[in-house]
This record gives sequence, C-alpha cells and structure tokens, in this order.
Amino acid sequence: MKRSFASVVSGLAVLITLLVTLGFSTTPAKATTTYQIGTDVTFPPFEFANKQNKYVGIDMDLMRAIAKDQGFKVNIKPVGFNAAVQAVQSGQLDGVIAGMSITKEREATFDFSKPYFTSGVVMAVQPKGSVTKLSQLRGKKVAVKTGTSGADYAKSIQKKYGFKIVTFDDSNNMYEDVMTGNSAACFEDSPVMQYGIKQGTKLKIVTKPAESGSYGFAVQKGKNQKLLKLFNKGLADLKANGTYDKITQKYLGTTKSSDSASDRSIIGLLKQNKSALISGFEETLWLTIVAIFFATLFGVLVGLMGVVPSKFMNGVSTTLIYVFRGLPLLVLALFIYTGIPSLTGQKIPAFVAGIITLMFNEGAYIAAFVKGGINAVDSGQMEAARSLGLPFGKAMRRIILPQGIRIMIPSFINQFIITLKDTSILSIIGILELTQTGKIIIARNLEGFKVWSIIAVIYLVIITLLTWLSNWVQRRTRL
Amino acid sequence: MSTKVKVTDLIKTYGDNEVLKGINLSVENNEVVVVIGPSGSGKSTFLRTLNKLEEPTSGSIIIDDMDIADSKTDINKVRENIGMVFQHFNLFNNLSVGENIMLAPVELKKENKAEAAEQAKKLLATVGLESKFDATVQSLSGGQQQRVAIARALAMNPDVMLFDEPTSALDPEMVGDVLEVMKNLAQQGMTMIVVTHEMGFAKEVADRVVFVDDGNIQEQGTPDEIFNHPQNPRLQDFLNKVLNV
Repeated sequence: MKRSFASVVSGLAVLITLLVTLGFSTTPAKATTTYQIGTDVTFPPFEFANKQNKYVGIDMDLMRAIAKDQGFKVNIKPVGFNAAVQAVQSGQLDGVIAGMSITKEREATFDFSKPYFTSGVVMAVQPKGSVTKLSQLRGKKVAVKTGTSGADYAKSIQKKYGFKIVTFDDSNNMYEDVMTGNSAACFEDSPVMQYGIKQGTKLKIVTKPAESGSYGFAVQKGKNQKLLKLFNKGLADLKANGTYDKITQKYLGTTKSSDSASDRSIIGLLKQNKSALISGFEETLWLTIVAIFFATLFGVLVGLMGVVPSKFMNGVSTTLIYVFRGLPLLVLALFIYTGIPSLTGQKIPAFVAGIITLMFNEGAYIAAFVKGGINAVDSGQMEAARSLGLPFGKAMRRIILPQGIRIMIPSFINQFIITLKDTSILSIIGILELTQTGKIIIARNLEGFKVWSIIAVIYLVIITLLTWLSNWVQRRTRL
Repeated sequence: MSTKVKVTDLIKTYGDNEVLKGINLSVENNEVVVVIGPSGSGKSTFLRTLNKLEEPTSGSIIIDDMDIADSKTDINKVRENIGMVFQHFNLFNNLSVGENIMLAPVELKKENKAEAAEQAKKLLATVGLESKFDATVQSLSGGQQQRVAIARALAMNPDVMLFDEPTSALDPEMVGDVLEVMKNLAQQGMTMIVVTHEMGFAKEVADRVVFVDDGNIQEQGTPDEIFNHPQNPRLQDFLNKVLNV
C-alpha cells in the first residue's frame, strides 16, 4: 500500500515537472527590455489583425513607435480586453493598451499614462431604421461591448430612456446584433464606429460624441513605473515630430480602405486568410494533442488512485474527479490563467494555462471512466490473480488493466473528440486557436456566416482525422 | 502426520453480522477435508479466509507455521503455496489457456517461458486437456474451464488446495470430469479442503467431513460417522434435505 502511494505521488511529481518545463520552454527568454503588452482581440481602428495576421491599428502603431523611440521591445498579446485587463492586474502582463478610457474606478487599480487619444461615445443604428434618437429607445434592446465606456454610458442613461442592455464580448458581434435587428442600437466609441463604417459595417452614427473621455496606456498600480515613464516620454516625442498625427491620420483619414473591395466568396476568404487559418488549425491541433497527452496521464493516475486498496487514495481520487468535473471549463481556465497568478505573482503563459485547464477537466472525466472500466472487470479476476500470489500491482497490470482498457477504449475516443472541441473555449484566455482566429477574421471582414462555416468544416475535418486515427490504433493494438 | 493448517477461534464479522463465530479446525498433511453445510452457513467465507481473500476479524490461521491473520506476514508468499479453485473458475479472460497456467510461474518464480510452457502442457495432460494449450478461455465449456483452473492452481506446486464449490456452476454432465481430476489429486496425497454439495464425492474421497452451520462447526468425523450416524439434529435435518430429494 505504501509503495503504491509512493508511486502515485512520484507519478504526479513527474507530471507537474513536465508541465513546468513545458511552461518555461514556451516562455520567451526575457530580455531586459521586452515588455508583454496586452490588447484587445479586435478593436479597430486601435487594434486588429491585418491580412497578414499582424496586429496593427492606432494603439499598435503608437506602441511600436514609442518602443522604437525609447529603445525597448514589446511583445503584443491580443488576448481580449477583459483578459488583458485581468492579466495586467494579476501581473501576467506588463501593460495594457486597448483603447482604454481613463476612469476614476480604473485608476484605483491601474496607473495610467498621459492621455494619448480623446474619444466619445456615439450611438449607431441601422441606416434605414426608424430609430434615430435616444428617446426612441424605450422598451427596445441596446447592444454594448462589455467593459467599454459605451457600456458605462448606456448604463448611465438606461433609466432615463428605458431600454434593455445586451452585452457582447467583441465589437463585431455587437454590430451584427444591430444589423440583424435584434438590438435597436449600439453604443460605441466614435473613432471605432467611424472606422467600422468605413470598413463596410452597415450602420449609421446618429448622435454627437457624448461623455468624451481619454484613452490611456495602463500598468498595474504601483508596478512597472519605468515602462509608464518610457511611454509618456515616447508619446511626447511622437507628438513633437509628427509621427503621432501620421498614425492617427492613417486610420481615421478619409481615404477609402482597400479591404472592402476584396473577394468575398468562400474561396476568396480562404485564400486571403490562408496563413491565419493554418496557424489557428495548427494551434488547435497542438493544444489538442498536448492536452490529450497530459489529460490521459492525469486521468489514468487519478483513476488508478480510485481503485488501489487504500481508503485515503480512493478519497483523493473521488475528490479530484468531483472538483474538476464539477467546474465549468471556462471558469477553470480563467481561474488558472488570471486567478492563480494574481495570488502568487507568478506568470503562467496562456498555452500552459490552457493545457493545465484541459488536463484537469478532461482528465477528471478520463479518471471517472478509467475507474469505472476497472471496476467493471469481474472481481473474480482479481481474486484469482491474488490467490496465485500475484501482488496487487502485478495483478492489475497483467490481468485487470488489459481487460479494463478494452472497456475504456470507446470512452477514450469520445473524450479525445470532446477535448478537441473544448480547446475552442480557450480562446477566452487569448490563445490564437481556430475559434479565436475565426473571431479575428470576422472582426476584419464581417463575413460571419462564411467564416464560421469554414471554421466548422475545419473542426469536422480534424475530428474525422482523429476518429480514423483512434480506430486505426484500436485495430492495431487488437484490444 | 504433521499439522498443515491450524485455525483457532476464527471470527469474521461484516458490520454487526457475525458470519464466522469462532471456528477451530486442524488439517493434517495429506488430509482431504470436505466442508458441507446449508447455504449461508459461512462455509465459503471460511474457505476464503484461509488465503485471506476475506480478512479475518480475529483469531489465528497458521499455515506452514505462518500466521496469515498477522498483518506482518507476507500474504503473497503464503498464497504461492495455496492453490485456490473458484465456483466460477475465474480464468483470466485476456490470456490463452496456456498463458493462464504459465502466468504465476513466470511472474513469481521467474521460470523461463519454455520451461513454464512445458510444465503447463504436462498439467493440461493430467486434467485431460492437452490439446487446449493455445485455445482461448471463451472457447472452453464450463467443465473444461474448471479443469484448466485446477491446472493453473497446481502450476505453483502448492501444498494445500482449496476448492470453493468447484462444481456448483457446472452443467450436470460436466461434474464427473472435474470430480475425477480432484479424486486423482487426493490419491496423490494433496492436502485438500473442499467446500461442496457433492455428497458422493465427500463419501468417497474425504478423510474427514466437517459440517458447518450458523458460522460454526457443528459436527465433524469420518464420512461413515457423518453420513450414517449423524448426531447433531441440524446435521440430520440437512442430510435429510440433500439426500432425499
């Protein structure tokens, strides 16, 4: 019993070491002057991916120009607005630049740079719709993007105008909701809305900018003061030498963008986004494979802990399964990526956080059916093996596991497919996998139906491949 | 004759339910002891405590001078010398017939495979199944499976064999072959403890018959004493039921 305990503990230790090693190997060697900067997935014209899948926009160009001017390096992490803000709070990232309005509330937890852009909230509606004034919103739905000043503004006037608020995670879904008529209007920062309309979003601005506010670059309160100073100095330089105007003109000027004229057929979309889709596909595949590997290790280990003759181990196994099967994947991912680092101060790369999340969640399901599969083997088999003098471990390995695994195989294949699909949830912590790639492409071209169709087909292709592979392995091992 | 198995004050309880209520029994070398009794009397539980498939609650079980009720005793070592045959055969479904027999010698005695295979074939011959070495377990009838199970138990050269109702799960026409194998074993001097409902076997083969009821030994003696001159009213009642069907 002692030995089995030791071996399980050492197994867990190996697993954790492996993960930590993976974590360090994927963390870029930190040069003294490279800062990790979080930003939104898509917030044109401040940040968005261009056709080459490079992040551009006012924020991005400013950040890079300032870094160049002040002699430091930046590593841009387009993890989404909320994730970026939380990651800076927890110390996962050094700073955030994401069209972030400077507010009293935010100043309690962030130190802001000097304002680099002044904006205001406008209301946008369908071009041919009947709603053109705030007073016409009574009883209707209004779309906002979570955490934006547009959302704050909407909330502040909600009572007065009596509308309902629907919250979205990115601009595109919010626009879409208005264009399809689900919501009567949306509230958005004026430069964002202007740029969106210029790019072909079929909406119309009907109000003057209200609640004008200033955008600032933010760092965790009391931390990274050096970076903040560099930013302020660089910003002053850019304003003095005309670079600042050039950048803002580039995105807000009246010259028509060429993007709206490109081929919008599915083939055209595939061609334009080939490299983004391929890298998203690779990331999803890679996540799936690594996650399956660790989840299987974790699951088998915990499953075995559930069947060894030790009440303590059985209890640990049951508890682990109960906790990790009970937690929603989304909650677990956010907890590991932003919750734990804010407590320990130790950064966890998104990919590693994603793998840990899947390892625990999928591993808990695997543990449950490993335990079930072993328990499903007739107890007489174990009794006969033990009666011959075989120790528990040998009896398990030679007799029980080979029969149990045969029972488990269909569940394994099923779990692998679920794991693949669950990787899409990791887009919440900013991993650029297939789903996140889809969101970004749509943010640029607004072709939701076609792009999601492409993404769906890619998922089905991977699942088909995975199923074939599993069946092949199953035949080969003749279990 | 020396004592092979000595059981003293053996008690086994499940929660509040006392299944064995202080059993005392000695089995001599080369002796064949047949345990009979109504179902639920505790005779199977008793047999299973003898190789610790059931943990004794109290009392001592000394086999070859080792007390297996003592937690310091290496039970795996003791079990190597005790062969066990189950009601439901319990052959390993993931192994062939030959592999079933070879498993323990190869794993525990570190015999090489060729030697173990040769021994397995010999054992199969003694139970009349020499042609079944490569067969799968699923292709055998119940009677054949039980004879393989006996061969498997013999592969470790045990000096005691325990039989837990070895013919109860068999079709009637299969029972004879299995009993024949057991009879041969007894004639070769194997020490055997057999829980069974086969009264014919008990009469013919047993040196001693033990009647268990209500968690205790109610009466024991030679087959003649037990079957022809039963003293205990419970035994008389039991025999009346099983012999006059």
